[in-house]
Amino acid sequence: MAQITVDRTLCDNHGQCAIAAPKVFSMNDEGILEYAETFDDALLDEVEEAIDVCPVQAIFLKD
Amino acid sequence: MSVDIVPNQFAVPYLDISDPSFAMQSEELRNAREASWYARTNYGIAVLRYEEVSKLLKSPKLIQGSAKWPAHNGVHGGLFFDWWTKNLLVLEGEDHHRIRRLLNPAFSPRLIKDLVPRFQELANELIDDFIEKGECEFIGDFAEPYATRVLTILLGIDESEWPTIARLASTIGLALGVTFKQDLDKVDAAVAELYAYAEDLIKDRQANPGEDFVSRLVLASRDGDKLNDEELRNALVLLIFGGMDTTRNQLGLAMQSFMRNPDQWELLAERPELGPKAVEEVMRTNPTVTWVTREAVEDFTYQGLEIAAGTTVHLFTQASGTDPLAFPNPELDLLGEHPVHYGFGGGVHHCLGHFVARADMSEALPLLANRLANPHLTGGDEWLPDSGNTGPIRLPIGFTQRG
Repeated sequence: MAQITVDRTLCDNHGQCAIAAPKVFSMNDEGILEYAETFDDALLDEVEEAIDVCPVQAIFLKD
Repeated sequence: MSVDIVPNQFAVPYLDISDPSFAMQSEELRNAREASWYARTNYGIAVLRYEEVSKLLKSPKLIQGSAKWPAHNGVHGGLFFDWWTKNLLVLEGEDHHRIRRLLNPAFSPRLIKDLVPRFQELANELIDDFIEKGECEFIGDFAEPYATRVLTILLGIDESEWPTIARLASTIGLALGVTFKQDLDKVDAAVAELYAYAEDLIKDRQANPGEDFVSRLVLASRDGDKLNDEELRNALVLLIFGGMDTTRNQLGLAMQSFMRNPDQWELLAERPELGPKAVEEVMRTNPTVTWVTREAVEDFTYQGLEIAAGTTVHLFTQASGTDPLAFPNPELDLLGEHPVHYGFGGGVHHCLGHFVARADMSEALPLLANRLANPHLTGGDEWLPDSGNTGPIRLPIGFTQRG
């Protein structure tokens, strides 16, 4: 299992991560980000894409 | 399309945003913003303050409001019309997300970093051509060739072809103006020419894929899905359509901002590492995209205002970026700590090419500051209207060569 963290002071809820990796990130009815801190390694490629695509670069992979 | 104004909101300001003399950076707009978070307009409502723009820009109750643009201008068919209905700017839901997922990897900030040395060389090359003269026409001599040649670098086409790309991009850009219907034949001819260009490029990279941007698009796949030839072509047209005018205009507006703030220009010359901050500050206070349009998908109430499904909602970027409620010191300040701006839009339709635009302008501005001291207007400047994508058409400036 791999782990991520989102810096909520940077996150602006654009939702690009939820497009890139919908199994890990989603936007609720209020347009606020919800995400799973741990996820299966098989999803690593799409999570890395989400990290890359975040307009404010607020997503970080934990070692 | 009605907007129901709740009782006692008689003080809601009205703005005629179709009036060619309507100005974003005006007393009228500042007064409206002070009086109310939104204004009524001749075409939907306009949101004026930072907090509300931030919220509504990303609200799931709103979708982009551009799909109907051709029809709104009496255009119901043709090459531009067909392209427009299938481009990322107007697609919604899974149709949008699928294309976006396949395009995203080519726009990764990690890949764009490799192009930075070439951006620097290009900026210096263009400056070399006019520096001895002590004057230039900033748009024709710098902003337009820089913005367009960055695209040719990205696309991997011969940089000498930039005037053709600039001409086609500008012509297609007429589709966003108020004279779209009159310009339709020209616009469609430019789309046809750009299609042929894009198709050749795609064929070439399909036959000889490399590490370049177009090869990445051609090879992009996700869960066994790929972009087909038409989708690839449409994406390349979008890149040229969305990437040239915007960057050219934004560079022109940056020069205007710094001519108004000479101490900030000196600061940038002394501290080139402030290049990225300069881009953010210019886009916050003087963005080319002066508003972003959305449309309500359902009836909803926001801050006591009932917004009916189908209502057009304009989110004013410059007004929000200089809102005193969010920015107590709203002036351009490269050392200020400010909340993010919405010059690249936001939400699912956030600008796809923003890492490219940020990277190329972050290099250009400090190099210009480093070599041009005391830039100033010399007269004869011409400007686009404030509606749509604004900026200088011609910007003659004088300066002193530094060092």
